[in-house]
Amino acid sequence: MSSTGKEAVTRVDRRAAAAQGRAQGLDIGWTVFSYLIAGMLAYGAIGWLIGRAVQVALLFPIGMLIGLAISIGFIIYRYGKQGAVDAASPEGDDR
Amino acid sequence: MTGDVQVVAAPGGGCHIRSGCGYPSPGLDSFNFRPLFTIGSFQFTKPMLIAVICVIIVIAFFWAAFAKPKLVPRGVQNLGEIGILAVRDQILRPSLGKRGDSYLPFLVALFFYIWVMNLMELIPLFQFPAMSRIGFVWPLVFLVYFLYLYVGFKNQGFPGYIKNMIPWDVPKFVLIILIPIELLRFFVVQPFTLGVRLFANMFAGHLLLLIFTLATWYLATVSVSLLFAAGSFVMVIFVTLLELLIDLLQAFIFTTLTAVYIASSLEAAH
Repeated sequence: MSSTGKEAVTRVDRRAAAAQGRAQGLDIGWTVFSYLIAGMLAYGAIGWLIGRAVQVALLFPIGMLIGLAISIGFIIYRYGKQGAVDAASPEGDDR
Repeated sequence: MTGDVQVVAAPGGGCHIRSGCGYPSPGLDSFNFRPLFTIGSFQFTKPMLIAVICVIIVIAFFWAAFAKPKLVPRGVQNLGEIGILAVRDQILRPSLGKRGDSYLPFLVALFFYIWVMNLMELIPLFQFPAMSRIGFVWPLVFLVYFLYLYVGFKNQGFPGYIKNMIPWDVPKFVLIILIPIELLRFFVVQPFTLGVRLFANMFAGHLLLLIFTLATWYLATVSVSLLFAAGSFVMVIFVTLLELLIDLLQAFIFTTLTAVYIASSLEAAH
């Protein structure tokens, strides 16, 4: 292949990789955001229900904070680990 | 819809700094319209008209482009092919790869419909993004939601799909506290954010445009306030350019996330 042809192929590859990076970034970004909201909602609701049963209104915000903490922990566990794997994988690895 | 809705026809309803009726700050009322006509209890409003026109525009464009396709594309066919290839290479292929090419017509229709609907906020006479009424967003969200659930159940089976949703790689005691979050995220928050993001962006953008457009008219007098009117007018230009970008970006994000969700339904997430 001529050097111009190789350059064109590299350019197309680079564009495809950039598009893939954008899609992955959007996916991870919004998944992380969804986890944060879902954590607060799920444990906020559980806290609210228990708080209603035992007449302690404070359990609602406490539940939300616990949910947020769980979400943050899980986000770090999942995406922190994935970042480490991606960084360690050799170039051209097609997993 | 109540009868006392405000229609933003005349700038600021005619209010001006000289008339002493105060700045007519735009609000929720600016998004309500008097019905154009009524059939029984059904009221046909301007946003509905815009939605219908957008459907016709998208269908007419692709009809004109591909009704009689030529081997060497020219004119509208060229534009149509550029549009389809852009959606394929920038949205579909990065998430779904070549196996997702059967979803291309759906994603192309979704992308162009949302884009044209959003652009309506900048086109004179229409000047309203129908997506800033959340009722126009939910049908699209439900369409996408039921599509990726269907694809997931079809490809992985009902038990498999639910099983693959749960992150099994975490310790067992963590798994118990994660299950409510994971289920809520997947079934409620994910479709909710998909819809609200589009709605909120269009709502905020239209509100910003209204604020500065009304202020330009309201402050335009032969006095020092003309400077403020000029400043406001510059903001109108700036927000219009920004909205041009946001309109495209929101259509892109909605369609990309749709492709990502379909991809996650086609195969289990790891």
